[in-house]
Amino acid sequence: MPSAPVPASVSAEPLIQVEKFNYAYGDHQVLFDLDLNMRSTDVTALIGPSGCGKSTLLRAINRINDLVDSARVVSGRIRVDGVDLYAPEVDVISLRRNVGMVFQKYNPFPRSIFENAVYGLRVAGIKNRHDLEEAAERSLRSAALWDEVKDRLHEMATGLSGGQQQRLCIARAIALRPRILLMDEPCAALDPIATARIEELILQLRHEYTFIIVTHNMEQARRIADRTAFFYKGRLVEEQDTMKLFTAPDDPLTESYVTGRLT
Amino acid sequence: MDSSDLPRRPELRNLIIRNRKRTILGFDPQQIIKYFFGANASTAVIVLVLIMIFLVREGVDFLPTNRHELQTYRQAGLEFCDLVDRPLREHQTLSSSLRQCVSAALEPIVKDARERRNAAFLLKTQAEEKAARQREALENALEREPPPAEDQLAALRKDLQTAAAAASQALIYPSLFTAEETALFKAQLAALSPELTDLPPFIQALSAEFMTQDRAAREKYADLVTAQEEFDEAPDDLHELVDELKEQALGAKQSVEESHALAVNRQQLLEAAETTADPDEKASLIKEAEASVGEEVDLTALTKELTARTGELQTQIAAYVESAEKAAASLPDDVGTPDAAALLQKAKKGLPAHVQDMREAATALESWRVDKPVSMLRVIGAFFFGTEWITNSSWQDFFGFVPLLTGSVVIALIAVFIATPISVIAAIYTNQFATDREKELIKPVIEFIQAIPSVVLGFIGISLVGDLIKEFSEVSWLQWIPGFPIQERLNMFNAGCLLAFMAVPTMFSLSEDALNNVPRGYIDASDALGATKLQTVFRVIVPAGISGILSAVLLGLGRVIGETMVVLLVAGNRIAIPDFSAGPGVVFQPAHTLTGIIAQELGEVSRGSSHWQALFMVGIVLFTISLLVNWCARAVARRFESQKA
Ligand SMILES: Nc1ncnc2c1ncn2[C@@H]1O[C@H](COP(=O)(O)OP(=O)(O)OP(=O)(O)O)[C@@H](O)[C@H]1O
Ligand SMILES: [Mg+2]
Repeated sequence: MPSAPVPASVSAEPLIQVEKFNYAYGDHQVLFDLDLNMRSTDVTALIGPSGCGKSTLLRAINRINDLVDSARVVSGRIRVDGVDLYAPEVDVISLRRNVGMVFQKYNPFPRSIFENAVYGLRVAGIKNRHDLEEAAERSLRSAALWDEVKDRLHEMATGLSGGQQQRLCIARAIALRPRILLMDEPCAALDPIATARIEELILQLRHEYTFIIVTHNMEQARRIADRTAFFYKGRLVEEQDTMKLFTAPDDPLTESYVTGRLT
Repeated sequence: MDSSDLPRRPELRNLIIRNRKRTILGFDPQQIIKYFFGANASTAVIVLVLIMIFLVREGVDFLPTNRHELQTYRQAGLEFCDLVDRPLREHQTLSSSLRQCVSAALEPIVKDARERRNAAFLLKTQAEEKAARQREALENALEREPPPAEDQLAALRKDLQTAAAAASQALIYPSLFTAEETALFKAQLAALSPELTDLPPFIQALSAEFMTQDRAAREKYADLVTAQEEFDEAPDDLHELVDELKEQALGAKQSVEESHALAVNRQQLLEAAETTADPDEKASLIKEAEASVGEEVDLTALTKELTARTGELQTQIAAYVESAEKAAASLPDDVGTPDAAALLQKAKKGLPAHVQDMREAATALESWRVDKPVSMLRVIGAFFFGTEWITNSSWQDFFGFVPLLTGSVVIALIAVFIATPISVIAAIYTNQFATDREKELIKPVIEFIQAIPSVVLGFIGISLVGDLIKEFSEVSWLQWIPGFPIQERLNMFNAGCLLAFMAVPTMFSLSEDALNNVPRGYIDASDALGATKLQTVFRVIVPAGISGILSAVLLGLGRVIGETMVVLLVAGNRIAIPDFSAGPGVVFQPAHTLTGIIAQELGEVSRGSSHWQALFMVGIVLFTISLLVNWCARAVARRFESQKA
């Protein structure tokens, strides 16, 4: 991938602040004392071995884990733009509209491409046909999907290829114009070409949205992320400028992980 | 490690060649196991096919048998009589609504007088009951032989007088009577004695008053009353003639049947004779067969006697039609109360159609041909489109299954209509909103319903639901519901409610499964896009599970159509097509069903009779319907499934 990560501006205020965050499923604690800041101008990658809690952190940020009965915050907080996410005055629905999410397994609804693209707007109560069409075109263009689907907007979304379906899911998320986009291994189910297209997309959109991406692909993290955070067994080991984390990590654990020697 | 230390292993070559020794009776054990499992799996299929063959074998003879019966029906002239008799039956309905109309018209005028008279009679009975002991004592004494001494009688009389006076004081006199009337009546009641044969004068006066009122009312509506009476008597002559012809036809039919039975018997004896080896027995069988010959019935001659009277019949019909029309023309327009007016309207509307039917019957008599053969198509039509299921009739049996089918279908629809929302909503709640503890409660409870024996539900229907519906139907602010107040406690709605209850577990469990199978990803995606819980349920989960829900509903329908015990106990078992002109209120009418009729009648009919075969035909239809419904359920599930993929 040609475009190198844009150097992060040091002065930018952190948009997401994770403070002494402890999180558990029932009695099984999975996140321990997390302290992490993410700036709005950065693409942040979260890496770490399977089961270390990356998805859990993402799902805590848009509170989609509220729907898991056993999930709970043990202590600490996450602030987004200074607001404590778990404070009672937070409107979860509005939060989710502004913090979009893309899942590992592409999951368009079994409906038309158009209906998928505008689903978020529909549930937000927008009925005007014209507005919906405009938003669908805008988001599909942003997701670099428009040219491929503009003639078959009313066909089933499930008829698209995997990569197209994943881009449709991205379009569906950005149709709501969120500030933050959480991506949980967005390319894990895709082939290298489809992966490259998504990465390209992220780099194009990075000025409009704050990306937080979970990935198991070290190369991908290198290619797209400004900052990378390494998790191990529910703890944050190191959060660094991506280049530094991969070339000269502070922590030996990080080094053994990024070089593939972690056992 | 030193390789020579390893135990020597057999040659690979020897290992991969099949060891031929392991066979059972020359068969590979693997194969045997496979066949064993295969055989078990195919048992179900084989049994299903056997059931189908059995049903069809018993039922298929119905068509020729019934054809023969219908042939006799025609040849013996029963059909000829029915040409007139059937339309004439409508007379009874019309006449009864006119009669009701008359009483409704008279009602407001005679009501007071009648109530006063009835109240007086009631008081008299009460007074007599209160002094019953003394009264009986006196009565017994009076009947004794020889009569007791006069002073003894006087004492008894005195006792009775005191008792009667006390009784007349203790009674409650309704406000229908004025104070003077009450005083007068009280005195008369106090004087009641078995020695007086006349009614108390007060009651006599009241009766007379009622008679006068009634006469006055009848005079006021003289037009209506005479028209009703005339119409009532109009078909008497025609009836007489038809009855005579019917008797004749029936006689002919019976002799045909007898000779047919003898012929069948003879055939059987001859067949038996063929197969026996013993010459003595053979001879006796043949002798017996020879004896089993009925006298030849000359049907043509018999029916000719009937058709010879066509002219006479037509004259009578014409006379009847004329007087019916006259009565219709003289019906007044104004009959006072709205009740009466409604009944009058009904009669007025029915009369012209009835007259027309009678006229057509008169012409049909001429074109009727005794020798026209009964086509198979007609026999099939008579079964599938016949509107009458009449069995054990002294006249003619008809096996038309439309009334049974309508009953079954209406009841099933009611059940599905009630059960679907309940089970689907319960499934959505359990699947999406309930906490784990609620789930643990709801699921087993609903599934337990399945374990309730249907006969127990039948009890509940008879004793509880029926009464509840009846009581509800009499609540005044519910009268806007069509069909209220209801006549019958046992009706299609009642059965439908109970069947709905029985269908809920099936529908609930399958719908819940369908919702459970909605991919987690859809739900996550919807939530992540800011949908509320309800939006996720109705925009994503239900549409994604709709195929499963629909097939759950269809399987519930299949369960309901096949259910027997509840409908037999609760549906009211009236074999008639429900009167759909009553609008949605039709659901409160009783009906019989496909399943119910089999359960009720199969035990009582003689094996192999046309009735028996007709019941098997019903069984075949029922079986086919169930198969179709189940097949539809699968098709729905598959169709939507393929759309999703
Ligand atoms: N719904 C849940 N209920 C209970 N425990 C859960 C749930 N989801 C995740 N966990 C547990 O939380 C821990 C962290 O899981 P999480 O999915 O966050 O890991 P991850 O880092 O995303 O792993 P991967 O890279 O495999 O996706 C794991 O031990 C997992 O078993
Ligand atoms: Mg994960």
